[in-house]
Amino acid sequence: MDDTQRRVDAIRKDRSELENHIIDEYSAGKITRREFVRRGTVVGMSIPLVSFLAAACGGGGGGETTGGGTTPTATGAVQAGGNIRVAIIQPATEPNPIIVKDEGGAGLLGSTGEFLSFSNEQLELEPRLAESWEPNADGTEWTFKIRQGVTFHSGATMTANDVKTTFETLVNPKNASNALSALGGVLSPGNTEAPDDATVVFHLDAPNGNFPTLVSSANYNAIIIPADLDPADWGKTFEGTGPFKLDSFTPKVGAKFVRNDAYWGEKANPDGFDLKFYDEEGPMILAIQGDEVDFVEHFSVSGGQALLTDPNVQVIAIRTATHRQIHMRTDKDPFTDKRVRQAIALTLDRPALVDGLWDGKADLGNDSPFAPLYPSTDTSVPQREKNIDQAKQLLSDAGMADGFTVELNTWKGFEIPDLAQLVKQYAAEIGVTINLKITDDATYYGDAVFGSSPWLDSVMGITDYGHRPVPNVYLASVYTSKGTWNAAHFKNPQADQLIGQYIAALDIDSQKAVAKQIQELLLDETPVSIPYFYNFLSAAKPNLKNAVSAATGQFDLSKAGYTS
Amino acid sequence: MARFLLTRLGLAAITLFLLSVFVFVGANLLPGNVARRKLGNLADQAAVDQLNHQLGTDKPILEQYWNWISGFFHGDLGTSLSYNLPVSELIGPALLHSLKLAAFAFVMVVPLAIIGGVVAALKRDRLADRIITVGGLSLAVVPEFVTGIMLILVFGLWLDLFPVSANAPDGSNILTQLKYLFLPALTLVIVLFGYISRITRAGTIEALDADYTRTAVLKGLPRRTVVRRHVLRNSLLPTIAVIATQTGYLIGGLVVIETLFNYPGMGRLIFTAANDKDFPLLASSVLIVGIVFLVATLLADVAYSLLNPRIRYATAE
Repeated sequence: MDDTQRRVDAIRKDRSELENHIIDEYSAGKITRREFVRRGTVVGMSIPLVSFLAAACGGGGGGETTGGGTTPTATGAVQAGGNIRVAIIQPATEPNPIIVKDEGGAGLLGSTGEFLSFSNEQLELEPRLAESWEPNADGTEWTFKIRQGVTFHSGATMTANDVKTTFETLVNPKNASNALSALGGVLSPGNTEAPDDATVVFHLDAPNGNFPTLVSSANYNAIIIPADLDPADWGKTFEGTGPFKLDSFTPKVGAKFVRNDAYWGEKANPDGFDLKFYDEEGPMILAIQGDEVDFVEHFSVSGGQALLTDPNVQVIAIRTATHRQIHMRTDKDPFTDKRVRQAIALTLDRPALVDGLWDGKADLGNDSPFAPLYPSTDTSVPQREKNIDQAKQLLSDAGMADGFTVELNTWKGFEIPDLAQLVKQYAAEIGVTINLKITDDATYYGDAVFGSSPWLDSVMGITDYGHRPVPNVYLASVYTSKGTWNAAHFKNPQADQLIGQYIAALDIDSQKAVAKQIQELLLDETPVSIPYFYNFLSAAKPNLKNAVSAATGQFDLSKAGYTS
Repeated sequence: MARFLLTRLGLAAITLFLLSVFVFVGANLLPGNVARRKLGNLADQAAVDQLNHQLGTDKPILEQYWNWISGFFHGDLGTSLSYNLPVSELIGPALLHSLKLAAFAFVMVVPLAIIGGVVAALKRDRLADRIITVGGLSLAVVPEFVTGIMLILVFGLWLDLFPVSANAPDGSNILTQLKYLFLPALTLVIVLFGYISRITRAGTIEALDADYTRTAVLKGLPRRTVVRRHVLRNSLLPTIAVIATQTGYLIGGLVVIETLFNYPGMGRLIFTAANDKDFPLLASSVLIVGIVFLVATLLADVAYSLLNPRIRYATAE
């Protein structure tokens, strides 16, 4: 026995049963180092003590949280071949690249399709069907060099014309494309050209420094399909260029894929994989515990508690920008005065929300869409913390010392009703009465246009926003005067100008400089409060390695395999 | 008998017509619309309108109904709005799955429940009766998902005897399929046993107390013969009716069990179609389940009339 172990044993003799339990869990790899530190300090262990034990006891298995975008299971040597069984949530619609809008559908598209580039765990773009790309001087034109020698699964050669047609289809308003949520106002129909088989040029509506991200895997609709293929027929063949091709597809049940031996890059390791569709996450959790699937593409903290402490499961936590927005209408009482909005934001106990609703698997929000994982986010902007005295003072200064009553609209989904209830409780601490109106999602979103949508018309509401690898869509749609999702009715010329500058900035330093100004402005104005950005969780059997999961619903199994 | 069948078929046709109207109107009264469900809550309204136009869901409801019902009677169930596939391609496999599960559950529960009910009646107010009736009803009132999860935990995860999902891999033989179906079928057995056995018990007690049974006993017939010839023949009449009425539930109402065991049957299909406002899929699915239900009740009525001549003669008069 070495000195370190003797010290550990001596320390553990004096610790409580609960503290020793946490140490045991960490030593056994059931909780991560981060989780060990968090829980250890909560139960009264000092930071130096926790740090020493964290180093001495090893552990830390079960999947550390990693930086956004994508992240793999444990990596290492694997056996060649094998068939991987994957559980994903039931796709909401037909597999059509134009209209897919959900995780299950994104998983199907990415199973055989490829993008111009792939957004990786550092939110960097890895070349795929594009070998390189560059902007013109002001970022209004982006030129992509298309990889040569790539064939579709049918054997046809993929050319720049296929890329051009894919994007022309995606941006055509007549096609009702889901990709318009990212490309609308950025790329107009007729502005994509293919001067030769190896080059595609995008002429943008305005300068845009993050355009390559908008046409990468981050935009899951943007798989490249043959120019002569009607997207509505894509579900018959799953035609793509990826390392796997379709073997069979049974709607509502699942799909089987096999290795594409004609793949242009490194051939896939597994022989293939099976997708099983699930309507609910509960059966998915049971399926991996019952050894009927090897990989669960996504589960939630609330539904998957059993997996978080299961030593027979790897849990992969990916930091994302997925968040909730608590909007307060800046043009209607009682929120016309920014001090009132600030007061509400100051009542939120964000660390408690992260622990209570997400078991610690979330980042604190600071009332702007700049999630901590974005490289452009300026982390020196002070974090807003709960301060009831300051909140009461702000209300008093705004002439509302006696509080007020307001209705909060939202919908019943995910953890949102719980968050709404907690917001109501927090606001009560400063004398504000919030009456909750919780409906189904169809009622809350209505027609999604001003005048016929409780989401966009309510004085106060909570709205869910999915992960985006860059904050452009959040900024342009939520915080600009003409934003189509501007539920707070926030009209601020300075914000409009800064957001325009941010979107146009071509390098990360320029983006970061503007981001700081936007973060500070939004923290001061607080049209929207964002309490947290939560992690995307996946699960895998311990013997599965190199499986990569993405926060947008895609996964990459091309290098995955079993160790035994 | 022919008149009896014609009357029943006529009533069934009227029932199906009313059912189709109710489902179509009901689905249209739900909030939201198909295109928004397909494109997402944040989709641009112009895109939503465009897709609704493409799908034909912006037409008047009467026109939509007429298009669907006229196609239905020509064997065309329409195209699923959510999946862009012929509805028959979705309903066919789902109906087959549901029929397999329902048949397996019936094969297990019907003999068990009838034997249980008869034993309880014969041992009236004794320990066996109490165990069967109280135990059966206690299990029946436990929600399906609780029963199902308990079975999965015990037999699927702890003992590792049965799969936790119900859908066997493609190409599985019949034994493997039955192994996969065992836990959901057992869940149904637990749900239905108490109900069916109690009805059987009540019918058996009534038959045991009847004059013809007393006469048979006084004639000196052996007890086993009395039970087989005189009691069971009469006591099973209400049981047959109850079993027939469970058909609709077993074919189209197993949303919870199908979801829990990830089984692609009619219950889940109808639920998701209603959620997606997929009118052709929803209306056709409900109508198909309605037809299966009516066929089952018709068969029950026929069996009823065969076992009970009074009904047969009353209809013929």
